[in-house]
Amino acid sequence: MTTALGPISTSPTTEPTTVPLTVGILSFAHTHASSYARILAATPGVEVLGTDPGPYDPGTVRGAAFAAEHGVTYVEDVATLLAKAPDAVVICAENTSHRELTELATAAGAHVLCEKPLATSDADAAAMLAAADAAGVILMTAYPVRFASAFTDLVARVRAGQLGDIYSILGTNNGKMPLAQRSWFTDPARSGGGALLDHVVHVADLIDALLGEGAEEVHAVTNRILRADAGVDVETGGMVSIRYPSGVIATIDCSWSHPESAPNWGGLTLEVHGTAGSVRIDPFAAHVAGYDADGELWAGFGADLDARMLGEFLDAVRTGRTPQPDGAVGARTLAIVTAAQRSVEAGQPVTL
Amino acid sequence: MSAPRVGLIGAGGISGVHAAGWRALGADVVVHSEHGAQALADRFGFRTADTLADLWPQVDLVDIVTPTATHAELALAAIAAGRHVVCEKPLARTSVEAAAVVEAAESAGVRLFPAHVVRYFPEYAAARAAIRGGRIGTVAVARFRRMSAAPKADWFFDEARSGGIVLDQMIHDLDQAEWLAGPVARVFARSTAKAGDGGRVASAAVTLTHTSGAISQVYGVWGHPGLPFTSSFEIAGDAGLLRYDMARTDSARIHLAGPATAGGYLPATDPSDSPYAAELADFWAAISTSAEASVRGVDGVRAVAIAEAVLASAASGEVVELPLEPTEPSTEGSLP
Repeated sequence: MTTALGPISTSPTTEPTTVPLTVGILSFAHTHASSYARILAATPGVEVLGTDPGPYDPGTVRGAAFAAEHGVTYVEDVATLLAKAPDAVVICAENTSHRELTELATAAGAHVLCEKPLATSDADAAAMLAAADAAGVILMTAYPVRFASAFTDLVARVRAGQLGDIYSILGTNNGKMPLAQRSWFTDPARSGGGALLDHVVHVADLIDALLGEGAEEVHAVTNRILRADAGVDVETGGMVSIRYPSGVIATIDCSWSHPESAPNWGGLTLEVHGTAGSVRIDPFAAHVAGYDADGELWAGFGADLDARMLGEFLDAVRTGRTPQPDGAVGARTLAIVTAAQRSVEAGQPVTL
Repeated sequence: MSAPRVGLIGAGGISGVHAAGWRALGADVVVHSEHGAQALADRFGFRTADTLADLWPQVDLVDIVTPTATHAELALAAIAAGRHVVCEKPLARTSVEAAAVVEAAESAGVRLFPAHVVRYFPEYAAARAAIRGGRIGTVAVARFRRMSAAPKADWFFDEARSGGIVLDQMIHDLDQAEWLAGPVARVFARSTAKAGDGGRVASAAVTLTHTSGAISQVYGVWGHPGLPFTSSFEIAGDAGLLRYDMARTDSARIHLAGPATAGGYLPATDPSDSPYAAELADFWAAISTSAEASVRGVDGVRAVAIAEAVLASAASGEVVELPLEPTEPSTEGSLP
């Protein structure tokens, strides 16, 4: 779709620059490491290093083999990589390792792009923000949906007043349970939680950008009926209800509710209602549909949001400006998840 | 089955689709309404009655399509006159009133049908059949969504008279949530209303926890005048997923030159296969053959009770526990 009202401030600038950069990928644990490595390796003026401490799931391509497949120079461990003084790192480790790796990287003077969720506790997130501040480096949170044209167009329309006063928001981020690729996603010791931690933050980030305010009160319920057969120790279904200080009410379905038989990974939708207009976006809807020998076929297409996000990060690294989405919004959106986890425990809404 | 003799009480927004449904059954219809009775009667070739006392002797059953706060009183009067009752949802403004209507109908030996028409919309009936057929396994997470331009009549926004968006619009999906995912144990709700340039708007967002452990989200919007009617649902089970979105399942796309069409308050339905006609036909068949319909009086009480829990949670900001459904869940009935 076209952007009707021009670019907004979160769009990456396209000022050409030739300052060479070294970027390290810390761990290939997250499946997004594959996309990031491929994009960075193809970016002129960027040298890509990678290290992958493990552990690895049996049958997965990790470590040096992964690096070789993606055109990344493999380094034996994190300390060795950081000793090479990279300009920046991209952290794709298990969620519970984000803080430690961020503290090591920032202490080495590297700017950080951290995979979402930023951390698994509010204390860890605060420590990461403090570490980046102390070192004078960038901390950015990997929320690629921010860079979808459907979303930047929505923001532009809201800023231009086309929707009037926003009063109600409905978001969904549903997909398959991410067990097939990486077992750590469903191991709370390494992931910090299930569907709540995995899927609430993307939508929460979009709402944060749209409203410019943090959440005030959060209610959540979860269950484990979906994929009960997999025997995982985390919630697989969840519904989160949020109230914002301006009175806006929002609901997010974060369930891993798409069965393995579905033809694609899942999707994200955001529906915004204002007194003068309503907009619903479905940034991953674009696809060619059909059938193959296994049934339904889904060939998705559209702009590479990871590439746009990495472009924003590299530009910020080169120019020294603060990129968006930054670490602060990573912490604010994580706070919604931790409040949701407390609400599930308490059986009542929780005030932030 | 003989043609019904029907007293249509009320001539407002929903009366037109009910009138069309009765006409399709070949009913002999007499309209009684404070306002608009003659115009409605003229449009459909019906007669009018100036008073309820004049109406009773002319009809076998009444169809109450008046503002919510008047439902119970009119239903009780009809029952006292020995007439069967079809009553637009909600059955009454409060569950206490609704229960009194059910009790009165049982004592008097007349039939009572709250018009939960969404049970007769084919997409919801198809979802129920798929769930009951085991197509998606055990229901885990469900979403129900319904929105339209806000209604224009003042009483819709008067909480005391209508119960607002929750009792008027969302009650459809509260009923669907139990119909499709079983009894609700617990409710958390938020609601909001705002005055905009184009009129008032309102929204409510509800999380239901079912006794089975399933979670439902029910979301409603009465929006700006340009918001078209849409409803959608997505129901995920441990073996599959059902999805329907009226806005994405259009069997015709029409774009005419000229001013853009505004939103509407009622869904577009196939006039030759109207869910409103289907529900009235089911009610009349149930009366004629002494069978059950797809909606029973107690279902209407239950829907109001859940809606009251939603209002209570939205007002208090706390989770509200619901008493278990006091009666057996709906039997298979005669699904349309």
